[in-house]
Amino acid sequence: MRTLKKSLPHVILLGYLLVILFPFLFVLFSSVKKDNNAIALNPFGIPKEFVFNNYVEAWVNAKISTYFFNSLYISVLSSVVSILLASMFAFAITRMRQGKWNTILFSLVLVGMLIPNNALMLPIYNIVRKLGILNTHWALIIPYIANAIPFTIIILAAFMRSLPSEIEEAAVMDGLNAPGIFARIIVPLTVPAMVTVFIVNFLGNWNEFLLANYFLSNDELRTLPVGMVQFRDQYQMNYAQMSAGIVYSVLPVVVIYAILQEKIIEGVTAGSVKG
Amino acid sequence: MNKALRNPVVFTLFVVPALILFLMFFIYPIFSSIYYSFTSWNGVSATVKYTGFSNYTKAFGDERFWISVKNNGWFILFSVFIQVPLIVIFSLLIANVKKLKGLYKTAVFMPSIMSTAVIGILWGFIYEPNIGLFNKLLSLVGINPVYWLSDERFAMLSILITNAWQWTGFYIVMVLAAILSIPGELDEAAAIDGATRFQRATRITLPLIVPIISVVIMLSIAGAMKAADIVIVMTKGGPAGSTEVMATYMIKYAITNFKYGYGNAIAVLIFAFTLVVTVLYQVLIARRTERVEY
Repeated sequence: MRTLKKSLPHVILLGYLLVILFPFLFVLFSSVKKDNNAIALNPFGIPKEFVFNNYVEAWVNAKISTYFFNSLYISVLSSVVSILLASMFAFAITRMRQGKWNTILFSLVLVGMLIPNNALMLPIYNIVRKLGILNTHWALIIPYIANAIPFTIIILAAFMRSLPSEIEEAAVMDGLNAPGIFARIIVPLTVPAMVTVFIVNFLGNWNEFLLANYFLSNDELRTLPVGMVQFRDQYQMNYAQMSAGIVYSVLPVVVIYAILQEKIIEGVTAGSVKG
Repeated sequence: MNKALRNPVVFTLFVVPALILFLMFFIYPIFSSIYYSFTSWNGVSATVKYTGFSNYTKAFGDERFWISVKNNGWFILFSVFIQVPLIVIFSLLIANVKKLKGLYKTAVFMPSIMSTAVIGILWGFIYEPNIGLFNKLLSLVGINPVYWLSDERFAMLSILITNAWQWTGFYIVMVLAAILSIPGELDEAAAIDGATRFQRATRITLPLIVPIISVVIMLSIAGAMKAADIVIVMTKGGPAGSTEVMATYMIKYAITNFKYGYGNAIAVLIFAFTLVVTVLYQVLIARRTERVEY
């Protein structure tokens, strides 16, 4: 009875774990099966013979490499620029003495956090069209940079505010001007917070679907999530190959997660408080 | 001595780039949405015709719009009444086990960092009528294939299950962090007084995590009102529009059918509904639950 009581939580939790992990295993096993028929005959288990051809086919048919690098460079570039612009803004409003402007600007950014950004999609579509960048990567990069700015400012401003003010006093004595203080003193000290916001922004951009789906129509420009949906629509009948495609798109995230899980969990849950 | 830090030119140069983007992509769109919601603009023509409230009356008269509102409502109800209890139970369980705590936490969190589009594709395969995991499991107990995503009775439920599968772990980790930050002495004192594990979980821990549960509910409501990509990927709003949500309804009209003015009216309604639901929740429920200090 005692052992039952002790192991019951584990039984329930392992059941939940199975619910989370089994879909991934199902896809992984299916990806090395010959065809739909082989999946139908043996849906749950490891295949009798491993067929790796699906991976070769999916790589070519799904243009994984194109989509992967599109996603990678759009996500990295947007996240880095967001952090650069937001850290300048955060430095100005937390470390430079401009009286009431600091408070006004910060409150304005806080308002931005309350806006449900999906509902802004149509006006953003219109802006992007007017700028003449629809159907180029800029149509994603600029909105992604802008979208991350309020959250990035709030996290970085909170961090910069906690740095002691003696730091700049010493720097001013040494003759540094404001940009110098920002670049040589504040930025290096803020790196830990920047890593956290980078992870959140990067994952958000990497996974973004709506803008990427509607703002680009040229196949060569697509990002991974949109490319995968299109691949699914084209090769819907071939589930083995589709599974290989899913593995390609899930694997990088799983690997990064395995290495950086603590930092990712910390960052993403901090990001959620924005609501 | 702080002259360097009082330089208004540098201040302006540092603030302006982020500020321009912010005004352009957050503030301007709100006013633009409100403005175009009173027009019949198609998104491209040179002339914009003012049509008063006709877009709004049209939306309120459209049965499909109300189906989409109802489906957002299902998202909220499913989150609050099914996901939240599960989140609380699982976080309490994980907090109370000694072994494998890290493994549980890492594994349950994983789906939430993945792309909703890819999760939608993965679950589309699981729901596949002939070779998908669900029907294969059901066939073991002799149940005939169910057309999960193409049967109106099951399509919405299938989407809700997938959504819950992706996000439950995320909230578990949030609640778990709150539980683990409660000072251990409270639990120890109760244990010395002879409280069982179950009593300690329900009488000590649970009341202390009410604020974070409230945050989880608020985030779920916000998430439910934003839901769109999972629907687009899994059912495209079908079968027969039965899984449409407000955001997909908006996109369908504005981008696919060039009814830009009408789409903006829907965007404004999404804002308004989100505001109403949030305020209702705050006034009716959140205010009544007393805050516990420790």
